Amino acid sequence: MAAPRHHHLALAVAVALLVVTAAAADEGGPRGRRVLVLVDDLAVRSSHSAFFASLQGRGLDLDFRLADDPKLSLHRYGQYLYDGLVLFAPSTPRFGGSVDQNSILEFIDAGHDMILAADSSASDLIRGIATECGVDFDESRVYGWCQDPEAMVIDHINYAATDAEGDHTLIAGDDLIQSDVILGSKKIEAPVLFRGIGHAVNPSNSLVLKVLSASPSAYSANPKSKLASPPSLTGSAISLVSVMQARNNARVLISGSLDLFSNRFLKSGVQKAGSKIRHEKAGNEQFVTETSKWVFHERGHLKAVNVKHNKVGETNEPGMYRINDDLEYSVEIYEWSGTSWKPYVADDVQVQFYMMSPYVLKTLSTDKKGVFSTSFKVPDVYGVFQFKVEYQRLGYTGLSLSKQIPVRPYRHNEYERFITSAYPYYAASFSTMGAFFIFSFVYLYHK
Amino acid sequence: MAAAGGLPASATLLLLVIAAVAVAPLASAVRPVSDAHRSAAAELFAASPDGSFGDLETTYEAVRTFQILGVEKDKGLIGKACKFAAEKLASSSSSPAKDLFHAARISGVLKCSVDSGVYDDVATRLKAVIKDTNSLLELYYSVGGLLSIKEQGHNVVLPDADNTFHAIKALSQSDGRWRYDTNSAESSTFAAGIALEALSAVISLADSEVDSSMIAVVKNDIVKLFDTIKSYDDGTFYFDEKHVDAAEYKGPITTSASVVRGVTSFAAVASGKLNIPGEKILGLAKFFLGIGLPGSAKDCFNQIEVFVPLVLSLPSKVFSLTSKDQLKVEVTTVFGSAAPPLRVNLVQVLGSDSKVITTETKELQFDLDNNVHYLDIAPLKIDVGKYSLVFEISLQEQEHETIYATGGTNTEAIFVTGLIKVDKAEIGISDNDAGTVESVQKIDLQKDTSVSLSANHLQKLRLSFQLSTPLGKTFKPHQVFLKLKHDESKVEHLFVVPGSARQFKIDFLGLVEKFYYLSGRYDLELAVGDAAMENSFLRALGHIELDLPEAPEKAPKPPAQAVDPFSKFGPKKEISHIFRSPEKRPPKELSFAFTGLTLLPIVGFLIGLMRLGVNLKNFPSLPAPAAFASLFHAGIGAVLLLYVLFWIKLDLFTTLKYLSFLGVFLVFVGHRALSYLSSTSAKQKTA
Repeated sequence: MAAPRHHHLALAVAVALLVVTAAAADEGGPRGRRVLVLVDDLAVRSSHSAFFASLQGRGLDLDFRLADDPKLSLHRYGQYLYDGLVLFAPSTPRFGGSVDQNSILEFIDAGHDMILAADSSASDLIRGIATECGVDFDESRVYGWCQDPEAMVIDHINYAATDAEGDHTLIAGDDLIQSDVILGSKKIEAPVLFRGIGHAVNPSNSLVLKVLSASPSAYSANPKSKLASPPSLTGSAISLVSVMQARNNARVLISGSLDLFSNRFLKSGVQKAGSKIRHEKAGNEQFVTETSKWVFHERGHLKAVNVKHNKVGETNEPGMYRINDDLEYSVEIYEWSGTSWKPYVADDVQVQFYMMSPYVLKTLSTDKKGVFSTSFKVPDVYGVFQFKVEYQRLGYTGLSLSKQIPVRPYRHNEYERFITSAYPYYAASFSTMGAFFIFSFVYLYHK
Repeated sequence: MAAAGGLPASATLLLLVIAAVAVAPLASAVRPVSDAHRSAAAELFAASPDGSFGDLETTYEAVRTFQILGVEKDKGLIGKACKFAAEKLASSSSSPAKDLFHAARISGVLKCSVDSGVYDDVATRLKAVIKDTNSLLELYYSVGGLLSIKEQGHNVVLPDADNTFHAIKALSQSDGRWRYDTNSAESSTFAAGIALEALSAVISLADSEVDSSMIAVVKNDIVKLFDTIKSYDDGTFYFDEKHVDAAEYKGPITTSASVVRGVTSFAAVASGKLNIPGEKILGLAKFFLGIGLPGSAKDCFNQIEVFVPLVLSLPSKVFSLTSKDQLKVEVTTVFGSAAPPLRVNLVQVLGSDSKVITTETKELQFDLDNNVHYLDIAPLKIDVGKYSLVFEISLQEQEHETIYATGGTNTEAIFVTGLIKVDKAEIGISDNDAGTVESVQKIDLQKDTSVSLSANHLQKLRLSFQLSTPLGKTFKPHQVFLKLKHDESKVEHLFVVPGSARQFKIDFLGLVEKFYYLSGRYDLELAVGDAAMENSFLRALGHIELDLPEAPEKAPKPPAQAVDPFSKFGPKKEISHIFRSPEKRPPKELSFAFTGLTLLPIVGFLIGLMRLGVNLKNFPSLPAPAAFASLFHAGIGAVLLLYVLFWIKLDLFTTLKYLSFLGVFLVFVGHRALSYLSSTSAKQKTA
C-alpha cells in the first residue's frame, strides 16, 4: 500500500516541477524581440554593423529594410509585425509602402520603442517625427536669400582633438545624464563622439530627457558660412541625444548624429581638446549599447504583482475597513534585467491612501527581495478610498496601481460603553431606581 | 608582415590598372589600412572558447584576413584549423564541393601538410562534380578547390578546360552579369564576380591554351559589368544588385568585393589589357577604404581581400603655428607599407575662398625613418585659417612609372591654427544720445572677470576688444557671442558680435520688449571661438543691473524654461493623517467624587425612612394576596434588573422583548395585588 502511494507522490512532484519549469520558460520579457531597421542606404548596415551586431547579440531579431521599400508595412491584419523600430534613414523624404509619419507615431502610441538618428541632411519627415516626440531639431534657417540646411553643432572648446577635419564639428560630449538605469551602472569614462545636428527639448514636455547635452560653449551653425544672426540653439540648451518615455512606457531615443552609432566612432580612440588623457576607445560603444538596452526595455522595466492589504494580525483581505483600523499593505516589484525578473530595490516607493486627495502618503520599506510593505492606521474619515502606488522614477517605466476599498464609521455598539465621567449619571439613575423599589414597599405596606 | 601579405596582392590589381593610379584625393577621412584594422579583425574573428572559428568558410575568412593583415595567431589555433580542414579533405567522397574548396584554401593559407594521396582523391571528386553540375556555385567551388590544390604544389590538370569554360560562360547574361544556374531567371552581380574568379581558375588549370576568342568575349563582359557600377556623389563607386531581394541580398560591400576579386584574378591570368576607366577603380578603392572600420566579420574579410594601390594622406589636417608643426604627408600603399622612392611637391596654396595664396613650388623633405614627407609651414608665411594645398607626386625611378602613376594633383584641405592675441578689451555703459561714456572698465579676457555695471533702458552697453592673428592681422572668428542671462527667470539673450565692428553696442531701448521688461541682474558671458583659434574661450564677464520700465498689460510673457528632470521624479513628501483628538474628559477622581455625591440622596432617603420607623404591617397576610404582592415586587425588581442588564450588555431589541413579557406579567400581578390592597383599605374605611 505504501509503495504505490509513494510512487504517486513522486509523480505529482515531477508534474509540479514540470509546471514550474514551463512557467519559468514562459516568463518572457516585457517586450518582443522583432525590430525593424529602416535605412536609406543599405551601406549603413555595414558601416554601423557593430551596433547592429550588439543588438543581435542580445537576442533582437533585426529586419533590415530600405526606408522607401514599396512593400514596407508595420502591421498586417491589425497586428503589429514589429516590436521596435530603428530609424537610421535621416534623409528619406517619405517612407515606402503604407508607412508614413502618422503610422510611425501610431506605432509608438501602441507602446513600441524607437531609435531615431538624424544628421544634417535630416528630412522634414524625420524632423516631424522627432517634433512629435518632443524634440525640435535645429531648423534650417534662412540667411538672406539662401537657405542653410547645413547647421551642425560646433564647439570650439570641447571638440575631439582626434578630429582630422579641424572644423570642430566632432564633439567630444561628456555631459551625460546622471542615471544608472539609462546609461548602465558602469560609468562612461571616455567622451562620446558626436557629429551632427543639435536639437532642443520642448520645455513643456516633461517626458523628454536630455541624455547627452552639449557644453556651454557649443552652438549650432553652419561651419562653412559666416554667422549673421544669433544661432537658434546655443550652449547647454542644445541636446545631442535625448530620450522620451511616453506615458504608455514606449521609449524613444533621438540622436542628432547617425555617425554616433557607426563602427568608425565605436572603434576609434578619442582625446578631448585641451585634455592630456587619450582614451583608446570612445565612449560611443558603451553609450549606444547601454542606451539601446534601455530603449528596448532590457533595463528599467518594472512590474508589480501581488498587491495585498489586510488588518494587522490577519492575513485575509477584508472587503471593508473601519476607521482607525491598523492595516498592512504590501506589493512585490520586479525589474526586468534582460534575462529574468530581478527583485527591485529602492527606498522611494510610496503608497497613498487616497480619496479625492491623499489622506496618507507613506514610503514603503523593502526586504530587498522585491517585497515592499508598510502599515498605517486608517484615517477617521469614512468613504471610498483607494490604495494608490504612482511610481514615476527617472528612466524607469511608471507603475500605476490602484485598488479600491471602502471605509466605514463605527457601528452603534462599537463605541465605548462605560465612560468614567458618566458615572454620576449612572449612579443617579440607579440610585433613583433603587429608591423607587424601596419606596414602593414603603408606600404600599406602611401602616 | 603586413607589407609581405599586402604587396603581392596589390601587384595583381596593378596589372589590371595598366593606367596605374595613385589613390590620393579621396574623401577626407580615407586612411590606409592600419593597426585599427588589425585589432578590429582580431576582435571580429574572435575564436570561440574551443579554439575554432565556426564553420569552414568563416575559418578560411579568418585565417586569410589574419594572413593579409599580419595578425599573429598562436600555433594551437593554426593546428586546430589545419586539423579541421584535413578532416574534411580526408572524407572527400562525402563532403560537398563547398567544404572541400574552403578546406583546401585553409590548408593553402596555413601551409598545413596534407598527404598527396588525399589531394588526389579530392581532385578526382571535384572533377566529378565539375562534370555533373550546371550550377555556378558548384563549378566555382570545385574549380577553385582544384586551383588551391595546384597552388600548393600539387600537380592538377583540368582535362576538358574548354568545356568547363563554356559551361560557366553559358550562364552569363548580355549585361555582363551571371545567373546562378541554368534554371534560374534572375541574374546577379555577385554571381558575375564568382564566375569571373572561376573562369580565371579554369584558365590557370587548363593543360592547353584556352581559346583566346572566348577570353576576349569575357573581357567584353567585364566592361559591360562596369557599366552597371553605381556611384555616390563624392566619386565613390560600388557594385550592387539590381534587384534587391532582402533574403539573399548580400549588400554592396560583398557584391563589390566579389566583382573586384573576380576581375583581378581574371586579369591576372588572361593576357592583354582590360579596358576599364581608371576613375572607376579609384572609386572602388575609395569605397572600400571609406567604410572605415568594418563591423561584421564578413565585411572585414571583404574589405581586406580586395585591395587598392596608393594613398597620399595627411596624418593630421590641423597644423598649429604655435607649436611650429611640420606639414607631413604620407604616401603609402593601402596596407600602410612604404611607396617606392618619390618626390612630393607642394605646388599651390589656396585660401578658403579659392583665392590663390601662393603658387611657389616647394619640395617636401623625406624622412626615411618615419616614412613621411615633411615641410616647415613657417616659411610659407600663411596665417591662421582654412587652406587647400595642392600636391604633386613624381616618381624618382623611371621603371616605376609603368606601375605607379604620378598623374594628377592631389588637393588636401587643411586648417592652420594659432594663438589669437586678445587685447584692448573694454566694457562700459554710455548714454544714448550724447554718447558720453560714463564708465569704461578695462577687462582682461584671459581669465574670468566680474565687472558690475548698471544701466537703464535709455543707455547702451559697449564692449570692445581686438583680436589679432600671429601675423598681426585682424582676426574674425566664427563664434563671437555675448550672452545676457537674467538671473531670476533664466531667460537668455544672445548677441552675435559682428567681426568687423571694433566696438559692439547693445542699445537697450530697442530691446525692452525682447527682454520681456524683466529688470534685475543679468549675467554677462562672452564666447569667442574659431576652428583656427587655439585659445577659444568662454568667459564670464560679470553682471549688469538693468532697470527697465514696468511691463504694459499686453507685454509678451517670457518663455517657459525647462525644469530640472530630477525635481519631478523625486519621492513626494510623506503625508500622515491628523486624527480627530478625543473629547476632553474630567479627571477620574472628579467623576468618582460626583458619583459619591449623587449617591448621597439615596443614603439620606434610607436614613429618613429609618427615622420615620417604617414598617410593612400592611403586607397581606393571606397566602394568595401575599404571593401576588411578592410576585408584583419581584416583577418590578426584574424590570429594574433588566435596565441594569440593558446598560451592561443587552441591546434595545432584546430588552424590549423581555420587557414586553415582564410588562404583561406585571400588569396581571400588579392588578391583583393592588386591587386586594384597595379592597382591604376600603373595608377598613367602611369599618
